[in-house]
Amino acid sequence: MTVYLARRIVYAFLTFLGITIATFTLIHSVPGDPITFYIGHAGSKTIAPKVLAQIRHEFHLDEPLPVQYWYWLRGAATLDFGRSITDRRPVRTVIAEKLPNTFALNFLALFIAAAIGIPIGLWSAARSGRPAERASAVGFFLLYSLPSFWVALLLMELFAVRLEVLPLFGMKSDAYPDFTTMQQLGDRLRHLVLPVATLTYAQLAIFARFSKSALTEVIRQDFITAARAKGAGGAAVLWHHALRNALLPLITLLGLTIPYLVSGSVIVESIFEWDGIGLLYLDAILARDYPIVMGLTVVTALVTLVASFIADILYVLADPRVRLGEEAR
Amino acid sequence: MACGKREHPVTASAIPVDDSKPVDGGTLLRRLDVDISTLNPIVATSRYDRFIANYLFTPLIYLDKDLQPIPGLAKSWEISDDGKVYTFELNEKATFSDGTPVRASDVVFTLAKIMDPKSEAVQIAGSFDLLDLATTRAVGDSTVEVHFREPLASQLLHFNDVLVLPEHVYAKGDFRNDFSFTPVGSGPYKFVRHDTGKEVVVQRRTDYWAERPHIETVIFKVINDHAVAFNALKRGEIDESLVTSDTWLRDRNDPELTRTIDFKRFYTLNYNYVAWNTRHPILGDKRVRRALAMCVPTESIIRDLYHGTARAMSGPFTPDEWAYNPAVPVIRFDPVEAKRILTSIGWLDRDGDGVLEKDGRPLQFDLMIFTGSVTAKQLSQMLQAEMKKIGVNVNVVMLEGAMAIQRLLAGNFEAAYLGMDLDADPDPYNIFHSSQVPPHGQNFSWYASPQTDALIEQSRREMSFSRRKELYQQIHQALADDQPFTWIVQVSAKWGINRRVRGVEVSRGLGLFLWYPGEFGWWIAEPPRSGARP
Repeated sequence: MTVYLARRIVYAFLTFLGITIATFTLIHSVPGDPITFYIGHAGSKTIAPKVLAQIRHEFHLDEPLPVQYWYWLRGAATLDFGRSITDRRPVRTVIAEKLPNTFALNFLALFIAAAIGIPIGLWSAARSGRPAERASAVGFFLLYSLPSFWVALLLMELFAVRLEVLPLFGMKSDAYPDFTTMQQLGDRLRHLVLPVATLTYAQLAIFARFSKSALTEVIRQDFITAARAKGAGGAAVLWHHALRNALLPLITLLGLTIPYLVSGSVIVESIFEWDGIGLLYLDAILARDYPIVMGLTVVTALVTLVASFIADILYVLADPRVRLGEEAR
Repeated sequence: MACGKREHPVTASAIPVDDSKPVDGGTLLRRLDVDISTLNPIVATSRYDRFIANYLFTPLIYLDKDLQPIPGLAKSWEISDDGKVYTFELNEKATFSDGTPVRASDVVFTLAKIMDPKSEAVQIAGSFDLLDLATTRAVGDSTVEVHFREPLASQLLHFNDVLVLPEHVYAKGDFRNDFSFTPVGSGPYKFVRHDTGKEVVVQRRTDYWAERPHIETVIFKVINDHAVAFNALKRGEIDESLVTSDTWLRDRNDPELTRTIDFKRFYTLNYNYVAWNTRHPILGDKRVRRALAMCVPTESIIRDLYHGTARAMSGPFTPDEWAYNPAVPVIRFDPVEAKRILTSIGWLDRDGDGVLEKDGRPLQFDLMIFTGSVTAKQLSQMLQAEMKKIGVNVNVVMLEGAMAIQRLLAGNFEAAYLGMDLDADPDPYNIFHSSQVPPHGQNFSWYASPQTDALIEQSRREMSFSRRKELYQQIHQALADDQPFTWIVQVSAKWGINRRVRGVEVSRGLGLFLWYPGEFGWWIAEPPRSGARP
């Protein structure tokens, strides 16, 4: 077990290093750098070359790429990810400020999508092929294909502009500081409703269809037929025999979705003025704000690696056949 | 859009107001398209930074409605006969928001910070390239002598960007990074708070040293999306916002909306153009460029693409600028004449493939546009269609912002559809002088004409306004003849403003803001609707 863990950690570290090198190389090899904008958007203004040279120098953009990476790595080792080129605030501060916003939004959306989607999926598997199930499948497919910017604006038009029951945008009201703690909580929740709804509807479909197909696949297998032949009732077969086996792909899905918690959604964040990671990522890439891009890469890479690690451990718990270490080979 | 049940807690008639007499107080809710990156005005990188800095700091000179210099922090100024020394007399009543008086030494300190490359004053440093810091000095407490190595006619207006900082505050620590969100200035408002990604709040100073503006508090709300901003405008959650052409076309005559929203349309200092790479073997010929300019269907672009809210351009200056030459005609849409010109210089379709050739080379080029702009795409397709009719092959190439700029700077493009923002002073040196090709300046066309160079050099040294104006008229003509750019249109800005806000005026070129009085002349006739913070 210890050997296994140690090996996993070494692999994870190497993967992490690989991800940072790849991202660093990629973002730096895309044409254009942070300085191009100052010239491109200068209009008829005079730009002082001295100033541009100074900015290049400050961010080591005048050094060879491997040297730049070394500077970055050296800082990262002490958890210093430098400053944003755009607004010069420390990368850590900027990310720490926006991460909770994205996390809260996406956690709620994922939780609701899973809490509703998985039971519906299981129900669909049990009722597979019946008219009600077929109809729900079509419904989910439609839901999944609706573009989220459109749904977001539609929800906004209905609930915020016409009915005026929910806030139009933002994470809290203007009068937030004057509220009591309960009012503040309520205000936060009210602001969450529309963005969470926009994020949930498509993921709901993913969870429902994924768990349905996972369970259906298990039901088709011989041991289920055997259990049925043994005389076990439909519900008992599903619950005791099929569900536990169907958990495996669901764990994979969960492992894959956990990184969403920190990666944010550009569309929802921009429409609802949600000050989160998704918008930050997009803006940083467009502005070639290398330090921010790298900082965000570290966060997403870490979460992804940890999530896959946890998924592996859950596998072991869910399926006794999966064994750790050498003896399993 | 109309919804019968909608309630208006505050209607135009709810509170009797004498429209002619401004009232003091109230909160103005402005929109900020993009959050600010710093409130240190010297290192500011975006116009949004400047929007707020304008409330908190005072420039040495303000620009009036017609973009003419008027007193700001300086109550008067003199320019020496050789045009190299500017002597500013400061308003001795001026104080910073911490109560200390504004001194001449603060101005010298600010200029030194602008000049220091370590400040990275991207937007301003270039305009003071010729400043001679060694001889620039404070004479007593309220007189500043600013020396330049060479005279420049456009220099005076650049003092509008010198938002003076108190030396005793800004001299300590890391100038570039330490003062981003702790501004101390001499402006009519003081900083209250910045809630990242949400809002910036400023409040009127009780101890302001000049005429106090009417509005008590200004809240800037960050709203990126135009559709969301328009909804917020409708709900009264913001008082002003840019509106898109589509919204303007659809809603500007909606009686329910116009009851609360005043739609304004005006021209600012910018234009859209096609930049030709004049080093290109085909596009380097100005006769070809002129023929191509005749294929621009200006009238239908204005009518179909901009719903009549744009106007044709004849050259490098807009009709609102004093440098504009009214005698230069807009190039007429005339494909027949274009084809005749091309034929006369040897461009013929010899092999019958529908494309003109000369010396075995087909008449074709790539037209680069930026991703994300629907109108740019439609416009490029219109040009493509018109040029195809006379045998010119245009490939539209769409590129992401930084990539496209990178290509422009490297001269690695054939033609590009771009937008240009102009400074308040019309000096076109950075765009058309042959020394200003990238990376030195923004001469993206690699345009080089000894005649135009001479005119530009002469005009920027000419301190007599009437002679300078004459020179610009010649420059206008020369550039229109040479077509390093083909000017397409000037698109007007469209704004929606809540009718509770009064005193809103439009400048000749700067729009609603950043001139004097501009936003400081606004006042509020009604409280905001319930729900918004008073």
